[in-house]
Amino acid sequence: MPTVIFQLPDGTQRKVTAESGTALMRAAVSNGVDGIVAECGGNASCATCHVYVDEQYTERVGPPTDVEEEMLDFTAAERRPTSRLSCQVPLSDALDGLVVHVPEEQV
Amino acid sequence: MSPSVTAAPGAPVVDLDLADLRRDPYPAYAELRRTAPLAWVPSVGRHLLTRYDDIVRAEKLTEVFSSREQDSLLLRTVGPNLLREDGPEHRRLRAAAEPPTRPRQVRDLWAGAFEKNAHDQLERIAGRGEADLIADFAEPLAAANLALVLGLRNATADDVSGWSRAMMAANGNYADDPGIWLRAEEATRAIEAAVAEVAETVRREPDGSVISSMVHAADPVDLAEIQNNVKVVIGGGVNEPRDVFGVGAQALLLRPDVRERVLDEPALWKRVFEETARWVSPIGMYPRQLTEDHEIAGVTLPAGSRVALVIASGNRDDSVFERADAFDIDRPHRPHLAFGGGPHFCMGAWVARHEVSALAWPLVFSRLKGLRVDDSAEDRMEGWVFRGLTSLHVTWQSA
Repeated sequence: MPTVIFQLPDGTQRKVTAESGTALMRAAVSNGVDGIVAECGGNASCATCHVYVDEQYTERVGPPTDVEEEMLDFTAAERRPTSRLSCQVPLSDALDGLVVHVPEEQV
Repeated sequence: MSPSVTAAPGAPVVDLDLADLRRDPYPAYAELRRTAPLAWVPSVGRHLLTRYDDIVRAEKLTEVFSSREQDSLLLRTVGPNLLREDGPEHRRLRAAAEPPTRPRQVRDLWAGAFEKNAHDQLERIAGRGEADLIADFAEPLAAANLALVLGLRNATADDVSGWSRAMMAANGNYADDPGIWLRAEEATRAIEAAVAEVAETVRREPDGSVISSMVHAADPVDLAEIQNNVKVVIGGGVNEPRDVFGVGAQALLLRPDVRERVLDEPALWKRVFEETARWVSPIGMYPRQLTEDHEIAGVTLPAGSRVALVIASGNRDDSVFERADAFDIDRPHRPHLAFGGGPHFCMGAWVARHEVSALAWPLVFSRLKGLRVDDSAEDRMEGWVFRGLTSLHVTWQSA
C-alpha cells in the first residue's frame, strides 16, 4: 500500500498509508489530515482539497484532469504549476513516498 | 423501511415552538448543541442534529443518511429530482445539470449578462432615493439571473419569482392548505410548459444553459426529469442569493468601519460573502432519512429515522467558530456548512458568489451615494428552514 506525506503549513508533516486506487483526498480526510477540506466529497466542484505536489513527484502524478483544470483557477490559495485537486489524484504503488504540500487556505 | 415519525429510543425530546424558531432559531440551537445535540423535536417531526462535527460526519455518510426521504413535501411539489436522490442516480442528474454553473462558465458565459441585469435593476430604482432592496432589487435580480442560467428565455423575472414563491410555500405546507397546493400546481405546470418549449429549441441550438446541458447530456435525461430539476432549481435559486445579499448588505450598513474597509479593498467582498453565508445561512437545515441503524451524538437511530441536518446551527458552533454569533469578516478561515457538503454541495455556489459578491454588492454600495438604512422601517429576519430579511428599507441621495 502506498504511503503519502502531507507537508502542513505549520511545518509539521503527516504520513498516511492507503490502498492503491484511493483518492489522495480520501486518504487525507479519512486520516484527519488538517487543511484538506473537501466540501463536495470528491466531485471536483468545490476546490477545497487543493495541494501542491512536491516537484520531485509532479511528473509521476501527471497533469490535472479536464474537470479539475478549471476549478484550479478558483482555489483560495494561489494556483501554481504543481497545483492539483487531491480528489482527482488516485494513489498507486508508483506514487509510494509521494510528498504533497497543503496550502494555508482552502476557503 | 417505513418512515419513522417518532423519537428514536433514548433520544431526548425537546419541545420547540415553530413560531419562535421562525423568529430567531439561534438561542434554541445553542441550547441543543449544549444539552441535546441530537434531539427529537415533535413540532418538526424530526431529530435535529446541531453540532458542526456531527453534521459534517452525516453529510459524508451518504449511504446511511439518505436524501431519499419518504413522503417529502418537496417530492409532492415537484416530483422526483436530484435533491432527493443518492448515488449513481444523483450523479447522472447532477453531471447533466452542473456544467453551466461551474466557475469558468460563470465567468465566461454569464458574468457579462449578470452585470447588465444588475445595472438594469438598479437603474429602475436609482432615481427614487429610497427602496426595499429585497423586493425592489435583490429578488428580481436573482430571478433574472436564474432565468438566464437555466435557459428560460421565455420567462420574465417576475414569472420566476412568482413560481419560486408558490413552490416554496408548498414545500413548507405542513398545514395542508389546499390553496397553497393549488398555486404550486399552477406554477409547476407553467414551468413544465416553459421548459418543454426551451428544450425543443436548444435541442437544435445548444446555448450553454442548464436546460441545454441536460438536453445534450452524455448520459440521457428525459424531459420530465429536466422539468422536475428545473422546478427544484427555481424553488431554491431565488431566495438564496437574495437572502445572502440582504443579510450581508444590512450587516455592512450597520457596521460603518467594515463597510469602509471593504469599499477600500474590494477583494474583501469575498470574505463578506462567506461570513454572511456562515452567520445567517440562507438554507438553515435539510432533511435526511436513515437507511440503517446508526449511532450519532450518543443516540442509536433506527433505520427509517428522520433527521434534519441543521447547518445554520453548525455554523454557529463555538467549538469551531470563536464568538460564533458575531459577524466578523476577519475570523480565521474555517469551512462553513452553508453550501452543504458531499455530493449535494450547492450547485449554485459559484453563481451566487459571483452575482452577489462580485457584482450586486459592489454596484449597490458604489452607485447609491449616501446609502443608509431607513431607521423608520422595521426590517427583520425570519425563518429557520430558510432564513433572510423580509425587507431592507434604505435611503440614498438620488440627486
